[in-house]
Amino acid sequence: MKHIKNVQTPCIKNGENTGCGECQASCQSACKTSCTVANQKCIKSAK
Amino acid sequence: MIHAFIYRDEFLVLDVESGAVHSLDELSFDIIRAIELGNDVYALPYSDTEIDEVLVEIAELRNIGQFDSPAPAPIIRNAADSPIKSMCLNIAHDCNLRCRYCFAETGEFHGGRMLMPIETAMAALDFLISHCGARHHLEVDLFGGEPLMNFEVVKQIVAYGRELERIHDKEIHFTMTTNGMALNDEISDFINREMFNLVLSLDGRRNIHDALRITANGKGSYDTIVPKMQKLIDDRGDGEHYIRGTFTANNLDFTEDVKALTELGFEQISVEPVVLPASDPLSINDTNVDKAIAEYDRLANYVIERKNAGNPINFFHFYVDLDASPCLAKRSLGCGAGVEYVAVAPNGDIFPCHQFVGNKAFLLGNVFEDELDDTLRSSFAGCNIFTKEKCAHCWAKYYCSGGCAANANNLNGSIMEPPEISCKLLKKRTEIAIGMALDRKRGA
Repeated sequence: MKHIKNVQTPCIKNGENTGCGECQASCQSACKTSCTVANQKCIKSAK
Repeated sequence: MIHAFIYRDEFLVLDVESGAVHSLDELSFDIIRAIELGNDVYALPYSDTEIDEVLVEIAELRNIGQFDSPAPAPIIRNAADSPIKSMCLNIAHDCNLRCRYCFAETGEFHGGRMLMPIETAMAALDFLISHCGARHHLEVDLFGGEPLMNFEVVKQIVAYGRELERIHDKEIHFTMTTNGMALNDEISDFINREMFNLVLSLDGRRNIHDALRITANGKGSYDTIVPKMQKLIDDRGDGEHYIRGTFTANNLDFTEDVKALTELGFEQISVEPVVLPASDPLSINDTNVDKAIAEYDRLANYVIERKNAGNPINFFHFYVDLDASPCLAKRSLGCGAGVEYVAVAPNGDIFPCHQFVGNKAFLLGNVFEDELDDTLRSSFAGCNIFTKEKCAHCWAKYYCSGGCAANANNLNGSIMEPPEISCKLLKKRTEIAIGMALDRKRGA
């Protein structure tokens, strides 16, 4: 493409093999007052 | 849904529902921004030929699910069936500091000063084990007040947790949030041995820290805690931790506080906006939020300068790993307060999270009883990015997962109404985090 260049392919996983719930609760990582999830890693991807 | 934004002079567009990101030239940025805002693209100062060229490229991306992708079906959770995997133990409703911005009434949590007895702590872990279902990884955060004011119970409950791990084949990640006042060699060794993650509260520059984080006698705590924290982190090596500061209206130049923390040798840093009603002189509110947003750009420049100089730091809210990021279920569930995450007061009362502790309207149950208020839990399960009107149409929904329910309730009177100031700050941080993630992928 001339004007638009993809720099990140779709990355929000859904469906099969997702939602296992084994990942860390987001508010307990560092921020006790501001919830953020995207800076956490999927526990499966991290292994 | 799409979101076009500029990160350090680069034009980018996020395809919200898929997470795809595209780099744009100025022409395509202007056109996509107009589309995002619902404006007529042909009113832009470009020729029809140029505009059509970009629209063809957009159509190609749309066809492969990378532009304005459709939203997925909402994920519905049944709170009553949801396992609890994470617990905040308020080990001490007491504190050796009297921080002026403390959400917990300087440790009292609306209920007077009290330490959690070991019997209550053990009952809480038993409750967690009996409600965690098949979850293998569990988390227990030792919190307060100041948890080290009850160190004997901290040691005992960790030992009990290790026993439960063996019996039930679980892995419990203990974490702690401490102000560092009570640290000594014995406690530091214990923390570094047993705590999976550690949050140390330190606001940055000495004058900023000491203005708000004071002892009961009104004296600053900086000189007491900094050497202790430095030694602890030196000894901790690669162990997970964060130096966690708070910025207020007093230090909207908080880049200087991050710099001060790095000059002390700390590299894992989280400096976060205070959450207070707009009427509080320390609050981030409509009159100063733009300054805070601009400061994030300044901070991003500093973080990048450090990286380019070979001395990188990790600023918690500027980090997103796009390729190993959480799944849609996690992004829609968020912190899990009231559903898979609960907090326990020293008397055993259970609340949706640490910020609700002491608020009787949010009492879920007690660790000495098996029952939980499933109606209340369901209201938290039903509070998500699919059900909150403001979140459903927000481009940042998969990055904050709807924000903090407690902040929403405290500032807007409803867990369903996220506070606008928090949203503005989150969006700015998210743009920077996505930009920095792309830089890392490209080796920049």
